[in-house]
Amino acid sequence: MTRFVRRTPIEPRHAPVDATAALVRWRRIWFASPAMGTLSLLLTAAFIVCAWRFFQWAIVHAHWRGSSSDACPGDAGACWAFIVARWKPWLVGDYPSDQLWRAWACFATFALLWIWVVRRPPAASVQRVLLGFILLPIAFFLLLVGGGPLPAVAPARWGGLLLTLVVSLATFATALPIGLGLALGRRSRRPVLRGLCAAFVEAMRSVPLLAVLFIAATLLPMFLPNGSNVGLFARALVAFALFNAAMAAEVFRGGLQAVGRGQLEAATTVGLSDFAALRLIVLPQAVTAVVPALVNIMIAVIKETTLLSVIGVNDLLGAVENGAKSPGWVGEPNILTSGHVFLALVYLAVCSALSRYSRRLEARR
Amino acid sequence: MNRPDPGMTTTTPHVRPGPGVPVVEMRGINKWYGAFHALRDIDLQVAPGERVLICGPSGSGKSTLVRVVNLLEPFQQGRLQVCGVEIGAEAITRAARLAVNRRVGMVFQQFNLFPHMTVLQNLMVGPVWGAGVSRHEARQRALRYLERVGLMDQIDKHPAQLSGGQQQRVAIARTLCTQPQVVLFDEPTASLDPEMVNEVLQTMESLASEGMTMLIVTHEMGFARRVADRAIFMDQGQIIEIAPPDDFFDRPQSPRLQTFLGQLHA
Repeated sequence: MTRFVRRTPIEPRHAPVDATAALVRWRRIWFASPAMGTLSLLLTAAFIVCAWRFFQWAIVHAHWRGSSSDACPGDAGACWAFIVARWKPWLVGDYPSDQLWRAWACFATFALLWIWVVRRPPAASVQRVLLGFILLPIAFFLLLVGGGPLPAVAPARWGGLLLTLVVSLATFATALPIGLGLALGRRSRRPVLRGLCAAFVEAMRSVPLLAVLFIAATLLPMFLPNGSNVGLFARALVAFALFNAAMAAEVFRGGLQAVGRGQLEAATTVGLSDFAALRLIVLPQAVTAVVPALVNIMIAVIKETTLLSVIGVNDLLGAVENGAKSPGWVGEPNILTSGHVFLALVYLAVCSALSRYSRRLEARR
Repeated sequence: MNRPDPGMTTTTPHVRPGPGVPVVEMRGINKWYGAFHALRDIDLQVAPGERVLICGPSGSGKSTLVRVVNLLEPFQQGRLQVCGVEIGAEAITRAARLAVNRRVGMVFQQFNLFPHMTVLQNLMVGPVWGAGVSRHEARQRALRYLERVGLMDQIDKHPAQLSGGQQQRVAIARTLCTQPQVVLFDEPTASLDPEMVNEVLQTMESLASEGMTMLIVTHEMGFARRVADRAIFMDQGQIIEIAPPDDFFDRPQSPRLQTFLGQLHA
């Protein structure tokens, strides 16, 4: 064997620059092969046709002004006049006009919280965000219901986007702690508790949310003692909380499993009790690990709120559908379509913002 | 909360048992994992200030033995006395485990630092939330022990930012912060890169020179020879041979230890 000894060290060099022309790279992406090229052309063409049609319908031939269905003859263009004229029902429902500042305050507070959440320095603890999402709905609820110096407003008069916001936040605030409790219960040493928690989670996961909502709306009053007047809104909230708690429980269970056994052992050997070890060592790691998954649950909750309209709660979808049946706007099918498209855009904006945030959280780790 | 009785939680941990009273005493300990007999009739006494080396092939029960001492693993037969706390196989409760762990320290093969905390927080969490020491006092302690393991400049880093050797030294400082009467080492250098083994061994050696009672599971035989008062060889869940290091390494009596040492030197 010949001997080798390096006498002069090799200095680090720059990585070679990709000198491929932009056109060549572009062709590689779009026309990698004849079949792919055809597919690219077909999809592009389909997209252009759809986008052009939508543009014609939504912008060019759209009707923007008017206070009744007379403003929107035919179905060549969208009836945005319907959305503009009925801004109040889809934003806040039947909330009293002289108390509207309370609704605006909720929207504004939420917007501020959201800006803070997104702008917050990456190193800051994510647990404060969770705390904010738990405290905020309680504050909203108290403000909107009123009492004391504020005139009371029954939840039956809330509606539209306001209701969707409150239900989403309230679901998040209740489902997360309950879900965490269920996940911990499934790890308990006590077999009865463990079994009950597992049974509840599995049952909820095997039943469609719509069925849970119907049970809460129609079946539950039969079991409650006579005269106990639990409003439809409250029952719907409970159904949402329990259903999503089961979803959150599974997420938390995964997070708890991700914290290694060694962490608990180390916590024991530095003298922490089981409870202190859970609170200081296990939970902070478990919760941080599942925050992206929790945001995904929140996206699901926001979309699920549309089911509320089925049991007669006046959420965003319900407000638009009811609007299309109101005296001034009845008749033209195009009006309801416009309403649905508008809803889709609202949900798209909210949920895609959340999902982008979730992806950013994942990338951060 | 399952706190042990007040007498057990006093924050004067350096009250050592009198001379002659063993810090750790195992009497007829037996342990099974399912049907597998992992520890068989273990009798062992460790005197205050004694350094005991435990070695043996993998699966011989040496890790299990030290994990039984601080009740991370329950046992099914026998009696255990650790720092004055008496535990029978039938009475391994959370309270007993807590009482033992407030007197016993442990250093793991995988360090097991808390990744979401800084080095300083890692050192303070045990004294503050376990022993009820004031934050000020816990911080003083943490600084003192960090100084000793030579990591004062890493105080605000997270474990992931440290090398393996530094992490293990932090882990040693963390266990010292709880002011244990005995420290268990479960293969503390086994998952370290070779060039980091020495810094950890030196830290352990300086600890030994101050009279800390130590139970050490390790394959670092040179270190063991320098530091240990007694060496124990285990195989198949049994203690095969106990001897002073020189006899242990130079004049092993049992054939199995002879084979084991022969394989190490090969």
